[in-house]
Amino acid sequence: MRYADFTPYDLVLLAQGLGVTLGLFAATTLIGLALGAALTVLHYYRVPVIGHVVVAVTELLKNSPVLVQLFLVFFGMPAFFQVNMTPVTAALLTVSLNTAAFAFVIFRSGVEAVDRDQIEAARVFGHSRWQILRRIISPQAAAFSVGPLIGLLVNQLQVTSLISVIGVADLTKIGNILNLRTLEPFVVWSVIGLTYYLCAKALAALGGRLERHLRRSVVWQGL
Amino acid sequence: MIRSWNALEPHLGFLLEGFALTVAACVLAVAGAVVLGALIASLRTARSRAARAVAAVYCDLFRNVPFIVQLFFFFYGLPELGIYIGAFETGVLAMSIAGGAFVADVIRAGILSIEQGVIEAARVFGLGRWQIFSRIVMPNALRVSVRPMGSVLINLVLTSSILSTITVNELTGTAKIVAATTFMPFEVYAVLLVLYAALTYALSLAVAGVHRRLNRGMPEAVA
Repeated sequence: MRYADFTPYDLVLLAQGLGVTLGLFAATTLIGLALGAALTVLHYYRVPVIGHVVVAVTELLKNSPVLVQLFLVFFGMPAFFQVNMTPVTAALLTVSLNTAAFAFVIFRSGVEAVDRDQIEAARVFGHSRWQILRRIISPQAAAFSVGPLIGLLVNQLQVTSLISVIGVADLTKIGNILNLRTLEPFVVWSVIGLTYYLCAKALAALGGRLERHLRRSVVWQGL
Repeated sequence: MIRSWNALEPHLGFLLEGFALTVAACVLAVAGAVVLGALIASLRTARSRAARAVAAVYCDLFRNVPFIVQLFFFFYGLPELGIYIGAFETGVLAMSIAGGAFVADVIRAGILSIEQGVIEAARVFGLGRWQIFSRIVMPNALRVSVRPMGSVLINLVLTSSILSTITVNELTGTAKIVAATTFMPFEVYAVLLVLYAALTYALSLAVAGVHRRLNRGMPEAVA
């Protein structure tokens, strides 16, 4: 008996893969955005050396392939630091840091986009630096950043497909398994591709709604 | 540090071969992506509604499906159609197609940024539609889109590392082999990370140079 045909169980497999992909995406997004925001605050306070280190490291992360970063964490770190590393841990760590690097840049330009006069006015009114950040900069920076951030997240969803290379059983890995068993590359990869496509579209639609909500008070009045 | 350098030194030639393959793949893919992108962009701004729809679907599809899925689709799918090309050629093809979708969006924005008055003036001078397109629209659109295209191309270079998953021994592929033979994955991948960053930095410098050259004599944009 050959097991080359599609079975109903393949759908369960597909759903599992989708769950892993979405779960990892959600986790890395939360960690990445939180870390990116923390780095932005660090940068805002102009901490002497750390600020430069943060910029250098994020530039390195932005300008190197995620696949190599994954290999560095998954194969390199256990060999060099003698630590245990599961594929899921490596994937979480790498993709979170990568998201953080890109989110840092977006948040930073959001902070810089806030009108200088407002900050000066707030300072005149005796607000502290933290109060200015908390009450004046962050709400506006959030509204500025949400558009680019959605673009970033749609991209990061696709980046998660790379974790299949180090053995995480995500949607792409399931596609690989089904492809090798059934030898029906067109069917398998079309279904996988379509699933990613629909997820990206849903994410973009969700983000669009959030953006309209956050920017409802910022009405573009033309130049 | 000295020890690891001594251990890596015999493999430098092999790594260099991989680097050459990465450069070859990138040069071919960049050329393919720009040509394909210009073609799709002109379809997207065409008069025919059907052409616009086809081009829009193309961009939407290839931008929202992970590259690794597209790569597997071609790598496993093309032989099914009786098209037997090597892994390297498949990789370049997939990179050109995926890159073309991103380049098309950039060039399309460039085309749309051309003032209607310029085209009307050309029409008044009696230029034909093809002449207007090839002598007025395209040169102007390309000049505007050099800089955003640069970031797309840098992304394409980083994407080339994914070719290592379909047995192409480019830089990441050779590094994988070296990491396995020397058992120094951390050092190898760390060097690789810096190498890719240097490569993309050089590319961004080149893009800035081309941008300056194409925009010489233009008033500095107010931004």
